Amino acid sequence: MLRYLSTRLVRALLTICFVVTFAFIILRLSGDPALLILSPDAPPEAIEAFRKSWGLDRPVWEQYFHYFAAIAEGNLGRSMRDGRPALELVLERVPATLALTIPALILKIGIGIPAGIYAALHRNKLADRLTMLFSVAGFTVPSFVLGLLLVLVFSVNLGWLPSGGQDSWVHGILPVITLGTAGAAVLARFTRSAMLEVLGQPYIRTASAKGLPWRRVIIDHALPNAAIPTVTIVGFMVGSLVAGAVVVESVFSWPGVGRLLVIAVANRDLAVVQTILLFVAATMVCANLTVDMLYGWIDPRLRTRRVAGAG
Amino acid sequence: MAIVTDNRAPDKRAPDGDAVTRERNQAPAEVSAKRAPRGRLARFFEAWPPSVLLALAWIVGMLFIATFVEVLAGYAYTAMDLRARLSPPVGWGGDIRHLLGTDELGRDVLSRLLYSIRMSLLIAFFGTLIAAALGTFLGILAAHFRGWVEDIVLMMIDFQASMPFLIIALAVLAFFGNSLILFICLMGFHGWERYARISRGLAISANEQGYAGAVRQLGAPAWRIYGRHILPNIASTLIVSMTLAFPETILLESGLSFLGLGVQPPLTSLGNMVGYGREYITRAPWIMLAPSVVIILTTLSISIVGDWLRDRLDPTLR
Repeated sequence: MLRYLSTRLVRALLTICFVVTFAFIILRLSGDPALLILSPDAPPEAIEAFRKSWGLDRPVWEQYFHYFAAIAEGNLGRSMRDGRPALELVLERVPATLALTIPALILKIGIGIPAGIYAALHRNKLADRLTMLFSVAGFTVPSFVLGLLLVLVFSVNLGWLPSGGQDSWVHGILPVITLGTAGAAVLARFTRSAMLEVLGQPYIRTASAKGLPWRRVIIDHALPNAAIPTVTIVGFMVGSLVAGAVVVESVFSWPGVGRLLVIAVANRDLAVVQTILLFVAATMVCANLTVDMLYGWIDPRLRTRRVAGAG
Repeated sequence: MAIVTDNRAPDKRAPDGDAVTRERNQAPAEVSAKRAPRGRLARFFEAWPPSVLLALAWIVGMLFIATFVEVLAGYAYTAMDLRARLSPPVGWGGDIRHLLGTDELGRDVLSRLLYSIRMSLLIAFFGTLIAAALGTFLGILAAHFRGWVEDIVLMMIDFQASMPFLIIALAVLAFFGNSLILFICLMGFHGWERYARISRGLAISANEQGYAGAVRQLGAPAWRIYGRHILPNIASTLIVSMTLAFPETILLESGLSFLGLGVQPPLTSLGNMVGYGREYITRAPWIMLAPSVVIILTTLSISIVGDWLRDRLDPTLR
């Protein structure tokens, strides 16, 4: 078990290094930020001073090591727009995003998993067909379309709910529903196929053949085994709690991390984008690690064997 | 105990293996058709479920539009008619000159929609093609060299699979700026890891089979073994995964364009139309509804066909 955990940990660290390198390559070699931030006809002294203060005048490899060192210290640079520390800007947006994504996650799990299990247990019945219809819709209706349709119906036509902003909890209803519906559909489909696969296994037949009540067969034998693939996808959802709302936050002008990212990308604010990138990577890696540990707990076979990455 | 037997009816028992499609799409009429002595028509619909036929018809229609858009569109996608701004579609008080109404600059929504369909399909098509080529290449590379090459490819796969692609795409777009070519290439990085995983696994097992060994014994170089012998044998699986990935690429493109970070005006794509149309959601919802419907129906159709193809060609894929 210790060895299993340590390989996981090493891989998590490697992933983080990978992301940092990726961020560095993408963010630093893609153009001259000095010319982007200051206008191209700014005086040369101003551009020079700007480059110096951002370390852009040094050779690339030196920038790279400085970059690693700075990140290790938690210094992620300042927003090029208003000069505040990028990490601070991002962190102050996190609660708003979590206020959307956590209720949405609860909605996803609360609807998706029971619906998937129910559909699998009532295969080819009406409930199953409805669930599958719902899940196909969840795959094919993009979240911005769903969000705008909800706005059209509940804000524009009925006037029941606000269409954007973050003044009270009522403003969160439509975004949470938008986020939760799509995720629930995905989760229902995964849970259903995981359940169906388990129900076709010989040990289920054995369990019911030896006279175990069907309820016990499901609870003791089917559910724990079907939980393994389901945990993977839930882990991915937990990992994307911070970044999972980019589109929906934009639809509902919700002042979270996702909206900050879109604005930063549009303004080409290097520091903020890279901070969000690293922040997202860190949460994803933590979620994956947790999932890996859960695997070890749910499925003892995996403690020794190599597992394919989540996703 | 009745539930037990019901639950265990395995997929594979269906005669032609397209159990999952049928299970999702089967109308009650088909159930009875299956039990009654089957006529030619019933058999036809079993092989080609009505939903698949409809989906195929929609896809063919979209391809037709994408090919002949210049002939079909009544107006150029930039043509403005400032006197007919925000005119509603026919049936909601609009006139026949603009079937789906006009937008805030008096541009014909139908014409813009047709051009958008072409743009979105082109981007998704090339994106999927690039991803498949890249992923298959890396997968085969890993299968051929094994050792550290394989380890690096596997690490890249893990990395790609563990980061939400939208975030990576946004970062790249932010810092390389935005051009159409770059945007298509970026779409080409979406989902390559799936092809890499599949082709690696298939190529490793193909390498151990007799035919690959026989060609190798005859002295064929590696590129010939993979290109002429192994690739054709694993192609059906890869084509099925491409069909399944295609709608995702459309959704990604339209999402980014919706955010204003994908296809840039004056060019237009489906997501881009929705993005700009939402400003007018109260006064002119048709601007945003028309492309939304097309996105939904197109992704739905391709998913249905993809599932059906998977069940027919390759039941091993999940």
